[in-house]
Amino acid sequence: MLFSSNVFLFAFLPSVLLIYYLCPRALRNPVLLLWSLVFYGWGEPVYLFLMVGTILVNYFFGAAIHVRMQKNRNAKWFLFGGVAINLLLLGFFKYAGFIAEQYNHIPFLPDISVPEIELPIGISFYVFQSMSYIIDVYRKDAPVQKNVLTFGTYVTLFPQLIAGPIVRYYDVAQQMDGRRESVSQFASGVSRFITGLGKKVLIANAMGLLWEGTRDAYGNVEIMGLVHYDGVLAAWVGIIAYALQIYFDFSGYSDMAIGLGRMFGFEFLENFNYPYISKSITEFWRRWHISLSTWFKEYVYIPLGGNRKGLPRQIVNLLVVWGLTGFWHGSSWNFLLWGLYYALLLIIEKLFLLKVLKKLPSVLTRVYSLVAVLFGWALFYFVDMGELGAFFSRLFSTGATDVYGTNLILSYLPILGIALICATPLGKLIYSRYENTAVVRWGRILGCGVLLLLCVAALASQSYNPFIYFRF
Amino acid sequence: MKARKDEWLLCALFCGFLALMCLLLFLLPKSDFSETEKRYLADSPKLTADSLSSGDFGNDVESWMADHIPGRDFFVGLNSYYERLTLRQVTKDIYLAEGDRLVEKPVTFDEERVSKNVAAMLSFAKNCEVPVDVMLVPSGGWAVRDSVMGISDPYKDEQIISEVYSRLDGVNTFDALSVIGGHQDPAALYYRTDHHWTSLGAYLTYSAYMESKGREYPVREDFEVTLAEDFKGTTHSRAAMWLIPGEPIEMWHGPSDLTVTNAETNTPHAGVFYEERLQELDKYTVFLDGNHSLVRIENPEKDGTLLVFRDSYSNCLGGFLAESYGTVILVDLRYYNGDVLELCQSENADEVLICYSLSNFMTDQYLVKLYVD
Repeated sequence: MLFSSNVFLFAFLPSVLLIYYLCPRALRNPVLLLWSLVFYGWGEPVYLFLMVGTILVNYFFGAAIHVRMQKNRNAKWFLFGGVAINLLLLGFFKYAGFIAEQYNHIPFLPDISVPEIELPIGISFYVFQSMSYIIDVYRKDAPVQKNVLTFGTYVTLFPQLIAGPIVRYYDVAQQMDGRRESVSQFASGVSRFITGLGKKVLIANAMGLLWEGTRDAYGNVEIMGLVHYDGVLAAWVGIIAYALQIYFDFSGYSDMAIGLGRMFGFEFLENFNYPYISKSITEFWRRWHISLSTWFKEYVYIPLGGNRKGLPRQIVNLLVVWGLTGFWHGSSWNFLLWGLYYALLLIIEKLFLLKVLKKLPSVLTRVYSLVAVLFGWALFYFVDMGELGAFFSRLFSTGATDVYGTNLILSYLPILGIALICATPLGKLIYSRYENTAVVRWGRILGCGVLLLLCVAALASQSYNPFIYFRF
Repeated sequence: MKARKDEWLLCALFCGFLALMCLLLFLLPKSDFSETEKRYLADSPKLTADSLSSGDFGNDVESWMADHIPGRDFFVGLNSYYERLTLRQVTKDIYLAEGDRLVEKPVTFDEERVSKNVAAMLSFAKNCEVPVDVMLVPSGGWAVRDSVMGISDPYKDEQIISEVYSRLDGVNTFDALSVIGGHQDPAALYYRTDHHWTSLGAYLTYSAYMESKGREYPVREDFEVTLAEDFKGTTHSRAAMWLIPGEPIEMWHGPSDLTVTNAETNTPHAGVFYEERLQELDKYTVFLDGNHSLVRIENPEKDGTLLVFRDSYSNCLGGFLAESYGTVILVDLRYYNGDVLELCQSENADEVLICYSLSNFMTDQYLVKLYVD
């Protein structure tokens, strides 16, 4: 189930809120667990078994590690076992097809059939969350969760189940049992949720259409005496639109998750912090998908030695972490390339570039970071290397964009402008400056109302489909 | 910490809105058919072990909810105005022109469709023993292209029609575009809220066509015009800009006593206007009762038989043509499945006209039925 769907907004959310708040405190976690399972199983009920299995396995390993450490016995093998099972799950569902394909590319070996496995929704997120739990318990960073229902609630919690943020057990351990919901928190959850919904439905979807319209080079074909050019302008506007789409989609989803969490008394950590204003790639990755970068830093980079074992080792560590980060995003070579591209940039910045950047005017460093990120998104998007090459050559061609492309760009200009402004902290600065004035307090209600109505309108229109062939 | 009043209000409004929508969605009576969209809405989903485990149930519920959401027309309209306000007209199928006019976006040239349709028409003309004329009618958007508001793609009707005509070697073509483009107020020749031409547009084209054939036709003054008010056509429902008012349909009653029969009902009807259908939302069906596979219009005062392969533009044009022929037979190839050459012979047709609006010509998949092996 998606947040930006009618089922979620007008059936799931009202009923879960109603039942949650009618129930006594002791039943609230089980209610959340039950509804989260409904939420998860809505589209593909068969994977509920996988979900329940994941919960039980991790609950068991957490408990086993805890018990052994209580008795002062070595729990290392239980930690390895738990992590290995999680990685195997992820590996099987996400990478089996890819690995089989690569195997088949090796000459002289008999071909094996490539398994067609549909990726269970959200698996990359909840497997990482589960791993953080057993590792945190092992490190004594977080207490063990003795109640399997409460643990299940943590793993399945529907606000962040399918697209993060990746909530570390350490960060919510207290809240699982000790949270207290409040009207103020609920209200801030509502406005945060609606903001996220607006980012997704009103901005990201529109940017997606603009990217779709400008992406595919149709070549210089002559139709009816009119020569069409795909053009360099359309290529740049297109990749910017894609960058905005992916940011507003993902950060909108995180906003919705954080907002929904607040409605149920949870406080999740922020996942995005205006990444496109970064002055370096190092800074970009402190602002983009923070929960994932933190996860890799905590559980891979630092255990590997981080930057404490000398420069060569640090470079190796960076390559490992970013290769994995790339592959985490998807099982194809372009994601690995995308990860290594960032590893390379980060290494160069660590070696000398950061020092240079510090001396440059911030306009230049921002342009550098943005352009580097835009190239990154091109790597991220194109699975096919030929298409990637074609797109890059368009970025550096001199072809003019024809009337159709220009019209498309012009017609998206207002939304593009809004998106660019919303990608900077300008709105937030103004809001927090006047937060305590009556105008802003009451204006927030009006703003939320307008945004919500526009979102519902956009969702309703997706199905509005006059049947034009009914009559010529 | 005590919550502020505005925080209480925000929570109450949000929860209230969700609850209200939820309750209305399940309690309000549902219609199965959407008049504005001319389609059946999603059935209420069936919960079975099968549909549940395959995930179909979830998808069905989503489409059912989307189709039956309370205030759907309001929300669709709101979205439509919001998208116009943010200048995204070019991404829509319908453009807004001056004077509350809604027109279809420009027809784009489709090489594959054109070659197929041209081949079909050429082969029919070659095998048919009587003269065949082709008439392509430009779009209403082209007619008012200078008054389209905001950003719009260019209308190429003129180039496209002349390109198609140039490929119809040896077939007579009639230049309807000049008739329409040459009128001092081309906007009057098309509806504001529908893609069809008005009775005036059809009449002017008809009279020019008769002129070119050397046939007689009644002058404008011979027609008695009655009005049907508040017509809202297809471009109106597709644009979903509900604040745009309806418009009248002009019914031009000619001097001859025409009798209409169609293949589906087979009951003779006096005159080309089916005024009982004005009660329906789709008032355009007043012309010849809407779509039928084959419509026959008899005029006892004239002679000659004209066979027309056509789209719905001829629902209006047909009534005029019948003022000049003893028999006019209108064939809609979407629904007519008989042999076209046989029809031509069995009806003793003296002339054949293939008449399509440009946008239908460029999208229609049934014109190829004219192809003779």
